[in-house]
Amino acid sequence: MNFSSKLLEEAVNAFASLPGIGKKTALRLVLHLCKGELENSETFANAILNMRRGIKSCSKCHNLSDEEVCVICRDQRREQGVICVVESIRDVMAIEDTGQFRGVYHVLGGVISPLEGVGPGELNIDSLVQRIQTGEVREIIMAISPTIEGETTIFFISKKLRDLPVQISTIARGVSFGGELEYADELTLGRSITARVPYRNVD
Amino acid sequence: MPQDQFLLMLALQRLTLTNFKNYASQSLEFSPRLNCLAGNNGMGKTNLLDAIYYLCMTKSHFNLPDTAIIRHNEGFLRLEGHFLRQEKKEKIVAKIQARKLKELERNGVAYEKLSEHIGLLPVVFIGPDDNALITEGSEDRRRFLDNTLCQVDQQYMNELILYNKVLQQRNALLKSLADNPSADSSLLDIYDDQLIDPAIYIVEQRVTFLQRFSAIFQSMHHYITQRQEEVSLVYQSQLLENDLGTLLAQNRQRDLYLQRTSAGIHKDDLVFNLGEHALKKFGSQGQLKSFLLALKLAQYEMLRQHKGLHPILLLDDLFDKLDEQRVTHLLKLLSEGEFGQIFITDTHQTRTELIAKQLGVEYQQFVVKDGVIG
Ligand SMILES: [Zn+2]
Repeated sequence: MNFSSKLLEEAVNAFASLPGIGKKTALRLVLHLCKGELENSETFANAILNMRRGIKSCSKCHNLSDEEVCVICRDQRREQGVICVVESIRDVMAIEDTGQFRGVYHVLGGVISPLEGVGPGELNIDSLVQRIQTGEVREIIMAISPTIEGETTIFFISKKLRDLPVQISTIARGVSFGGELEYADELTLGRSITARVPYRNVD
Repeated sequence: MPQDQFLLMLALQRLTLTNFKNYASQSLEFSPRLNCLAGNNGMGKTNLLDAIYYLCMTKSHFNLPDTAIIRHNEGFLRLEGHFLRQEKKEKIVAKIQARKLKELERNGVAYEKLSEHIGLLPVVFIGPDDNALITEGSEDRRRFLDNTLCQVDQQYMNELILYNKVLQQRNALLKSLADNPSADSSLLDIYDDQLIDPAIYIVEQRVTFLQRFSAIFQSMHHYITQRQEEVSLVYQSQLLENDLGTLLAQNRQRDLYLQRTSAGIHKDDLVFNLGEHALKKFGSQGQLKSFLLALKLAQYEMLRQHKGLHPILLLDDLFDKLDEQRVTHLLKLLSEGEFGQIFITDTHQTRTELIAKQLGVEYQQFVVKDGVIG
């Protein structure tokens, strides 16, 4: 791509550095901004900057948050004694969209997969154990994708929690989510959250 | 044709190849009985068999990665097979594109998992590379065993996939523990536990399978050689003596040192014996060939019994490997009606034709030249 302007080129490269955006799309977006009001570009750029500067990871559940503790964790109407354990922030959004869950979350940040360099230490597992050791948690629901890696992760966490007085359940298997929680339609997911099953005892 | 003959029926009626190996674009109609592919070496006879194999097993018979079977300088390949299976039409389409997940469709619907397709269209490939079963390490023999078992038992395949994935993760963990010894090794316990259930199932199935398979193999061998030579298959597994949990615990330190898992069903083997002796050491060339042929025909028979239909039989360069006597016996077996659809490749056009006439069965002849079939 031949650019007449260094400024144009830099902006295109910035957009193209985002996942799923190629050079052509990046050029289209940049040209669109060029044609529009300066104010639009300022709003756009500020939204990104403000988000990036202000965004925090919730100190309790690791969900994204504007404050030290996220709105879900702060909401006293929610059951603080029921924790839904998920892989990613997108899973939190998918389950929230169902409107079927009134507890709180814990975002692991992935699943255990040494092949991809992800061991238990790379995930928010210790903080989950701490939450359960110190707080009044009576149930945790594992809403983790039904893959082998998901299975390993559930197994690993359950073993860590073995001696603690907490009920562990998993969301019903065999429901039609194609491996990933975030693609589940709201109805199926809502049903599976309410129809959870106790996790088998770990000996 | 009587009703039960229809139920035993499995045949590829039409095949369309696009950019598969040396084929640019080709469409073929086949006989439900015997198909002879004649042509010189390097013209693409074997590739055609591999295309048929691919549609049955979702991969190349030669363990080639999908990128290696796309025609040179092309970005995609497509295989379309129209099968008749127990009176029902089955259209199977495989699509491979560079840097995309491959797709397999059955009657217009894409499979969610490729493994769901295995077993629908049973297939047996007999070719020169069967020698590896004797000359190479245990991996080839396990693959032969698994290939047959996966075609008859979906659960076996699922347990095997599970076992292999957990094993890969365990080995990756062993490597990362070597780099970082202070890391949490309790994850190894989890993987050990996850390996146990699939391993138990797989060993049980291998044992049961080999009991039946050995008997069929021996009778096939006697039939081919016309001799009462003592041949046997011996299944070897550490798990026949010890349970996997104990083995993994015993080998824990060793595994950490070697950075791989040293005990398990991935170490199983199948030992071939001729009388009291190992076939590999004491068998003559002729004995090796008879042994291999009997193994493959037993695989065919085992699949036929389990599936209730005749597998598709792919015979590659068979007549260059076997002496006259063995060919005659095989022909006799083929003509006795115990087989369904057969594809044979041969370098001699007239010989193939003669065989077809000898068999007295309906046949179709194709001449393969440089990726074009006439
Ligand atoms: Zn929170």
